[in-house]
Amino acid sequence: MMRYELFIALRHIRARKRQTILSVAAIGIAVMILMVSQAFMAGFTQELYSKTVYNLPHVIVSPQDGDDYIHLYKNIVDKINNIDGVIASSPYLVGEASFKFKDNTKNAALKGVMPSRENAVAHTKDDIIKGNYDELTYSDKSIIVGDKFAEDMELDIGDNVEVSFPNANPVSLKVVAIYDTGTALDESLTYISLHKAQDFYDTTDVINGISLRLADFNRDREIAQMIEDYGYNAAGWTDNNPEILRTIAIETVSNNVTLGFILLIASFGVVSTLNMVVMSKVKEIGILLAMGASKSSIRFIFLIESGLLGLAGAVLGTAAGVTLALSIGTYPLPEGVYGLDSIPVVVRAGDVLTIITIVFLLNLFAGLYPAQKAASLDPVEAISTH
Amino acid sequence: MQQEKSSPDTARKKRIALSANSGKKAQKANHSTHPIVQLQNVKRIYTLGENKIYALNGVSFAIKKGDFVTIMGSSGSGKSTLLNMIGCLDLPSSGKVKVNNVDLSKLDDDGLTAIRRNNIGFIFQQFNLIPTLTALENVEIPMIFNGESPARRRKKALAMLKNADLPLEYANHKPNEMSGGQQQRVAIARALANNPPILLADEPTGNLDTKTGHNIMELLKELNAAGTTVIVVTHDPKLEEYAHTTIRIQDGEIIE
Repeated sequence: MMRYELFIALRHIRARKRQTILSVAAIGIAVMILMVSQAFMAGFTQELYSKTVYNLPHVIVSPQDGDDYIHLYKNIVDKINNIDGVIASSPYLVGEASFKFKDNTKNAALKGVMPSRENAVAHTKDDIIKGNYDELTYSDKSIIVGDKFAEDMELDIGDNVEVSFPNANPVSLKVVAIYDTGTALDESLTYISLHKAQDFYDTTDVINGISLRLADFNRDREIAQMIEDYGYNAAGWTDNNPEILRTIAIETVSNNVTLGFILLIASFGVVSTLNMVVMSKVKEIGILLAMGASKSSIRFIFLIESGLLGLAGAVLGTAAGVTLALSIGTYPLPEGVYGLDSIPVVVRAGDVLTIITIVFLLNLFAGLYPAQKAASLDPVEAISTH
Repeated sequence: MQQEKSSPDTARKKRIALSANSGKKAQKANHSTHPIVQLQNVKRIYTLGENKIYALNGVSFAIKKGDFVTIMGSSGSGKSTLLNMIGCLDLPSSGKVKVNNVDLSKLDDDGLTAIRRNNIGFIFQQFNLIPTLTALENVEIPMIFNGESPARRRKKALAMLKNADLPLEYANHKPNEMSGGQQQRVAIARALANNPPILLADEPTGNLDTKTGHNIMELLKELNAAGTTVIVVTHDPKLEEYAHTTIRIQDGEIIE
């Protein structure tokens, strides 16, 4: 049997089509804005992570205090690889070098890596825009440079660049690939093979750092601590790049504040709409009371109304918001302006559910006042004065 | 106000046959001297700023089961306050109101609601039907409050409407699609929905033309004959002729 409170609430909603549409629309628009901005926020956060944390080594291991190098590194690399949660490790030897091509000279970092392991940690291969990353594995005399570096030096694939440094063995290396990360590294970091780097700096088989990739990048501090317990220095990406976390935190806070205000406005819309409904229904409420409806029934009727309006608004707003967000996501941005092809948009089921639930509950809460007001009407006055 | 056609005799006989059951009970009740409504020195005082207004100033009377009573008084005499007392919508400032032998002063809100639901059927001057509901649904509402099953209440509501001489084609009309007399018939059917022992009417003919008003009063008379205690509050002396008993009220006091 349908509860009569629901029956009467549905009648009210149906009888006042215009008000119903307006209040559902008010809630719906607020939910839509929530949905879209939530999708943007999630999108930008994900973009930020993929631009940074995705390519960043999650943990960097450096030599013990007082040492320049990590000797006998294979041992420690094995140990680290056995730590639960470490999915890749890449030992490297990095130093400074001077580069010369034609009349152009430049100083930049020279990083000797094992190409496939470096790729496993930092997804270096994904950033290659020209040439072949794997050439680094095949030929010792290869170098990979950033697009900014190549531009400054007027270099292209196949060109030979002279590399030298005090106390180092000068060498001529062929550019086999050019990468673009969209960061400052494009100008200041070059890759060669680890073996070649050890030759260049004239060292034995040593390294001066290991970068790690973790299954869960949020565990960076925990795992860095475990490595420190082995006697090496280690730091997580949150310690190496605190500005990324700070940016995300500021983004999140400012977004949540804005979203909260939007929700508040929507809820006030519901309160005032329902209040109007109560005012216009005073006499009817009086009649229902006279005919034997209990006060709790009257309260329940108006709570149902606010809940239903909220739910309808939330569902419609969500549909509109998701559609809008996804269609904005496909809109192409002018190339190269923001370093993005399109506005990053991520719609997550969890967000959708959360928003619908919060809006529904908020509306129920907003309905409490008008419902209480209706329930506390005096039937005598309600019938005689209206 | 549009006039309605008077009902054919056959319908009337049928109706009386329909309520024959409660009629037997009523005859028994008629013989008992047990009052169904009892007021003892009832005062109702409204405070308006610093002034105290005595809407009722020590009213005492009793209404027997099965009686047809008019409570006469001009506007401002306190008759509406009296109606609210009997209808369990308001409580006295002092004194005692007993409905069906229950002392109202001992009840809380929910208790009053229950007494009202089971004992009183209201008929108003303005009909006070719920505009968003059809005639049938309006009659069903009090039964819904009383927890009747949908099938039973639909059947009963149709019988009630028939009993109140509403042509059946109006059962699915909304109040604004009916004449005043038809609306009042729906209101009477609604008032009777839970078989209350008391029918409380506030100026039931006030918004109707003379002929329709007469038909409505005749209907009330028949319901009374079938056992329901009818109490009509009015300022119209013409309604006196339908009643067995008349209580006159003036300035918050009984004068006769």
